[in-house]
Amino acid sequence: MSNLISIKSVTKTFTKGKTTIKPLEDLSLEVPRGEFLSLMGPSGSGKTTLLNLIAGIDTPTSGEIVIDGQDISKLSRAQLTKWRSVHVGYIFQLYHLVPILSAYENIELPLLLGKFSKAERKKKIHAALDLVGLSDRADHRPSELSGGQEQRVAIARAIVHDPELLVADEPTGDLDRESADSILSLLNSLASDHGKTIIMVTHDPKASAAAHRALQLEKGRFTEEGHLLTHQSPS
Amino acid sequence: MKLAILALKNLTRNRLRSLLTILGVAAGMFLYSAVQTMQHSLSRATESSAADTTLVVYRENRFCPSTSRLPEHYLPTIERIEGVREVIPIQIAVNNCGASLDVITFRGVPAEALQKYNPNIKVVEGSYEDFLARNDAALVGQHFAERRSLSPGDKFEAVGVNVTVAGIISSDSPQDENVAYVHLPFLQQASRIGLGVVTQFNVKVESADQLQRVADQIDETFKSDQQPTNTRPEKAFFAETAKQMIELIGFTRWLGLGAVFAVLGLVANAVLLIVRGRVKETAIFQTLGYSRLAIGTMVVFEGILLGLIGGLLGVFGAMTFFHLKSFTLGNEGLTLALTPSLSVTLTGLGVAVALGLLASLYPAWKATSRPLVQSLNA
Repeated sequence: MSNLISIKSVTKTFTKGKTTIKPLEDLSLEVPRGEFLSLMGPSGSGKTTLLNLIAGIDTPTSGEIVIDGQDISKLSRAQLTKWRSVHVGYIFQLYHLVPILSAYENIELPLLLGKFSKAERKKKIHAALDLVGLSDRADHRPSELSGGQEQRVAIARAIVHDPELLVADEPTGDLDRESADSILSLLNSLASDHGKTIIMVTHDPKASAAAHRALQLEKGRFTEEGHLLTHQSPS
Repeated sequence: MKLAILALKNLTRNRLRSLLTILGVAAGMFLYSAVQTMQHSLSRATESSAADTTLVVYRENRFCPSTSRLPEHYLPTIERIEGVREVIPIQIAVNNCGASLDVITFRGVPAEALQKYNPNIKVVEGSYEDFLARNDAALVGQHFAERRSLSPGDKFEAVGVNVTVAGIISSDSPQDENVAYVHLPFLQQASRIGLGVVTQFNVKVESADQLQRVADQIDETFKSDQQPTNTRPEKAFFAETAKQMIELIGFTRWLGLGAVFAVLGLVANAVLLIVRGRVKETAIFQTLGYSRLAIGTMVVFEGILLGLIGGLLGVFGAMTFFHLKSFTLGNEGLTLALTPSLSVTLTGLGVAVALGLLASLYPAWKATSRPLVQSLNA
């Protein structure tokens, strides 16, 4: 299976006052298409920084990040924004739905950036709602949904424009066990059944176990040179 | 379009703040529109145009209508001057010669000559025949009638003159809207001026380019007479006699400017608070793929909506206020009606929208200038 993500010798540094911080140092990684990869590590290990680099939210100080054949480390801020709108779906720990919009309208947000007719948008939104099991909650506002349901809406928003890459930052961090298991099962299904490549940052070993592969980061490097902690081949 | 709808929805998130901002904008735009209405009314009353062909003949060194006494027998002499189309003798009686907000002006004219002299006068209530039929009848200008709540058949007394309203008139001349036309002999007697004496002659000339020549000729004709005249276009007289009023209204321009800056500061502050309260949400939109321009546009829409809604309230509030109150400033017998106009209303709305736009540009830039990662961690 070909790689969707190929990261070569990426280093990220930034300065805070007089101190230079290096959250990632000379890091390389390859992720095949359709893999559900979990990144684990203590706070400050660089896992969220890596996730942001893969999602095109941040740019590396040096190195190369090639996603689906395109080196995104060379794109400008405006180009990255456009690239994200097509290629990436982002799932946040705290869902970050717009409170004044219904579930339907929240899911519609990424589609408003594309050239879709109203009928096309409606079809895609209902398909996404079906996939996350919330067809009957389309008109509900975030305040009328449980945490698990909010995260499902957030996942529907991330997949509605059919990106190949999904990035999730602690997607179960704010949920109870039952809801978390349900979300992890959904993410696993998106990778296994729908071919999405998913990079998930988590502190939770149980969440990590739901991924096909898990990598441990410490001080900006993969421990044991990126050895697999668990492995389930993508089907 | 979707961004505009989203911006409108966003304004409902903090209803109290939005409401207070809109009320502040409405108050500022009310003041701005009020000032503009005064300025506009003054311009209409004092700025001459090619269509103005009316001269007013007063007694030289006149201060107030009561000090201008001209013999009525000047009429045929003036009529014979080349270029004169129509002349009407007018007796004026006012309740207050100084600057006043509640001036009552009677104009005594030969009843049968009024419509011939001014065909633009239209009787909108009552009838012209009733006016001709009664000696004490009055045709009252619409603004005058509104201010005094007068209808045909009503009697009223002012300046020691008792009249019966025969009709309500409208006219394209602002001066006609604020006076009561009565029979000339009736007013001459009622105001104890005496028959044969008038305050002024209004003279219509054939064309605007003849105004100066005719005026000079009239004054030259009566130069050696016992009652020498001073003849000038009506608007020029108003501009000269109402100098203090004009200065006062000119000063209000600064109040209008102050109102504009107040609205600018208010909307900028409100939009800045909105933007600061939504740093993370803005970052989420950017993460979803919304460009800085799209997010900035959304912020600007919110500013424009605040300006537009407040502007609609303030500008139409001022328009309604001036319409209902029918304010009239008077000075030396000449009146200035503060009437709302469409151009002032449209300009006010345009200014409100422009202020909303201008006030939200900096917040819009501020909303999108932070690095995305920093905003996500805010």
